[in-house]
Amino acid sequence: MIRKIIAAAFVALLPATAIAESNLTIVASLSTGWVRNFNPFNETTRLHSVRDFVYEPLVIFNSMHGGTPNFRLATDYNYSGNLLKLSFRLRDGVLWSDGQPFSARDVVFTFEMLRKRRELDTQNIWDRISSVEATDPNTVVFTLKRVNTNIAFEIVRVPIVPEHIWSKIADPVTFTNDNPVGSGPMTEVRRFTSQIYQQCRNPHYWDTQDLKIDCISFPQVGTNEQLLTAAAAGAIDWFGAFLPDIERTYVAADPAHFRYWFPPGGTVAININFDSPTPGNRAAFRTVNFRRAVSMAIDRRAIVDIAGYGYPTVNEYASGLGRTYQSWTDQEAEKEFGQYAHFDKDAARALLAESGFHDKEGRGFVANPDGTPISFTILAPNGWTDWVNTTELVAESLNQIGIDARVSTPEPASWTQKLITGSYDMAINGYLTGETPYRSLDMGFHSRFAGKTRFAATRFVDPELDQSLDAFISTIDPAAQRQAMNKVQMILAANMPYVPLYSNPIWYEYDTKRFKGWFNSDNPVARPDVFDGTPERLLHLLALEPVKP
Amino acid sequence: MVFLLRRFGFYVAAFICAATFNFLIPRLMPGNPIDTMFAQSGTVLPPESLEALKKTFGFLDVPLPIQYLHYLGSVFTWDLGLSVKFYPLTVNQVLMRALPWTLLLVLTSSLAAFAIGSLAGARAAWRRGGSFDSFGAPAALMLQAIPPLVTSLLALYLFAISLKWLPTGFAWDPMLDLTWSWESVWSVLYHAVLPVVTLAMAQIGGYLVTMRNSMINLLGEDYITLGMAKGLTDRRLRLVYAAYNALLPALTSFAMSLGAVFGGSLVTEVVFNYPGLGYTLYEGITSRDYPLIQGQLLIMTLAMLSANFIADLLYIIVDPRLRRA
Repeated sequence: MIRKIIAAAFVALLPATAIAESNLTIVASLSTGWVRNFNPFNETTRLHSVRDFVYEPLVIFNSMHGGTPNFRLATDYNYSGNLLKLSFRLRDGVLWSDGQPFSARDVVFTFEMLRKRRELDTQNIWDRISSVEATDPNTVVFTLKRVNTNIAFEIVRVPIVPEHIWSKIADPVTFTNDNPVGSGPMTEVRRFTSQIYQQCRNPHYWDTQDLKIDCISFPQVGTNEQLLTAAAAGAIDWFGAFLPDIERTYVAADPAHFRYWFPPGGTVAININFDSPTPGNRAAFRTVNFRRAVSMAIDRRAIVDIAGYGYPTVNEYASGLGRTYQSWTDQEAEKEFGQYAHFDKDAARALLAESGFHDKEGRGFVANPDGTPISFTILAPNGWTDWVNTTELVAESLNQIGIDARVSTPEPASWTQKLITGSYDMAINGYLTGETPYRSLDMGFHSRFAGKTRFAATRFVDPELDQSLDAFISTIDPAAQRQAMNKVQMILAANMPYVPLYSNPIWYEYDTKRFKGWFNSDNPVARPDVFDGTPERLLHLLALEPVKP
Repeated sequence: MVFLLRRFGFYVAAFICAATFNFLIPRLMPGNPIDTMFAQSGTVLPPESLEALKKTFGFLDVPLPIQYLHYLGSVFTWDLGLSVKFYPLTVNQVLMRALPWTLLLVLTSSLAAFAIGSLAGARAAWRRGGSFDSFGAPAALMLQAIPPLVTSLLALYLFAISLKWLPTGFAWDPMLDLTWSWESVWSVLYHAVLPVVTLAMAQIGGYLVTMRNSMINLLGEDYITLGMAKGLTDRRLRLVYAAYNALLPALTSFAMSLGAVFGGSLVTEVVFNYPGLGYTLYEGITSRDYPLIQGQLLIMTLAMLSANFIADLLYIIVDPRLRRA
């Protein structure tokens, strides 16, 4: 009897001989509780693991390497001779996760659905395309309203959904897609609670031989501090967050396995409002030498080290291009205007003085040449500590050359509102990245956006700049594109409508204990972060494999 | 009876007043839900899309007075609408998800603090000047003065991270499914220990001092002396005679604190990643989720007013002197 009991206990303690499933734990977004919404078009509550992991893109353009295409559901794309038609050739043999075949019908259906229900068209793609049709089961042709060689990047950002499922639902806007049928690697929802959910391997995935991981799970984490607590305990494999003093707070918990890499991302700059509500400030802001003096007063290196803990990359481009796009640099523009982006307090003071900005009333701060005072607040979103500290350092620098500036920190929704409506003087702002510099410069400075989004907050308009930006997307000839982009940079460098500070880091931390194949500075395959909005994360997932114990 | 009816009428009026404020205040904040939704996306939606989206969430751009009437109607039918931030859940669903955890956390800690604080206060008053009184009361007050944030973080660091005795977050083990099984219940209790204890510790001081002070006032009364002369045990005198009569002020403050329960406890929930109402409300505010904010403020108002009303009733029940009035 005793021996039977001992034998049973022994068997119970034996490790299971079945092959264990590999499970990658990811935190891609902060949340107080998961809501089961796998609808890829919903802006507020869609889960951040739906795009790319459930619905695979047609093409993934590698932003880190000049936008080179990595063909996924499509195998090729071509512009017609007059650049008004764009056709995609789709891959053969791709199946949806329920076994039905994927074809051009699904692509056409998705775009037609966006046309009928404009609330789903969150990129407003139908503003630029006039029709979409399937010329054969493997070819989709988009007809454009105007020549736009950037459109391929925008079209592939639309998630393609299966026609045989979505044509039957009553309201695609409110549809929560509880059990998604997708084309991506992780479509099966294994478990879903408000604290954690798990997606597992697509049984019919077309690229299954490259996928070496079985499941991905997403624990609920509410704030950065909780994320750090969980990550330092070794519970998270892949995440991205601003962790102050990362060597001490994160890496020190397990130096053999915890790693991070912060490649440069979008530009962070001080926006100057050309339509400032105060006349005195407006007059100063519209004077280019004032803006140049502001730029020269700022010690970007110190800001990166102090406010950013050294993670961001300094941006001392007169045009604000940034290290992210350094292959596009216009050397002429930088040679002529580069001095205005370098730290030189004395030159800043001298420039102010010779442009007529003097401290007439002895307040300790300069005023306009005509005597109207200059006094303003710089806005920074409350809670984004690195940006808030950056803004404080900027205000201090300006005070040192005699400009009366203070910092105010409204909460993010209010800061966004003020940028959109223009009721601010100066504010810190960050731009999105794209495959080429076109996306961030277009959304920042093209006059059609002025005052409509938070990115086009400066309200600086220049018809030549508009022309150059439009010229960039009207050709696929690389030489012509380079020429257009040079012109854009020259105009921006000459006018300095914003003061670039640094390139925001791409937040990326990882744990090498259970998985290997991670992208890092020795293996810089593509943008490494796991956030929704970075399609390269699919490539990253396929590059990972479990570490053999 | 008339007294009760009058009180009730007062509470109804207070409720309508509070409901009006609940309606106005979120709308006075700059920003609106749709803009906040698209703040990060960098695209400009055409007006038709914006209109269609607004219709989905029920924000018809009708003038403010009409919105107010809609709102009042929804209050009395308890149809709080769809949440914007937690779409497609309704506000009721979002609040019901978080409510049990908030109740577990705040009710348990309040009750524990009340019980322990009052008993300790009774002891301290009974032997006033003794060692327990001299050290215990100031110590409890000091604990109360330390902000809950500090105690929570210290407790998290010490017990969860360094010693690894207790979990770092969540309301129950994410790997388990929440059922009534012994495993689930045990997991819930295990995860509740740190948050409840840190919350309770922050409140003990108040109850202790309240009880102690009101008891010291009573100790000179004649019936206490008579009891001592009659030969009643120390314990009986202390608890049944003195403490029971000194309970009234503590009881009312306890009833009032129950009203605040429904506001959740933001700091504790954030530190321990506990899915309660406090953090839900905070998220609703930052994303301008008007229906959620309104719904939660409504519940908090109702809870506060009910707690007040119950405190009034309790007074009448517990204190016989009032019944004659």
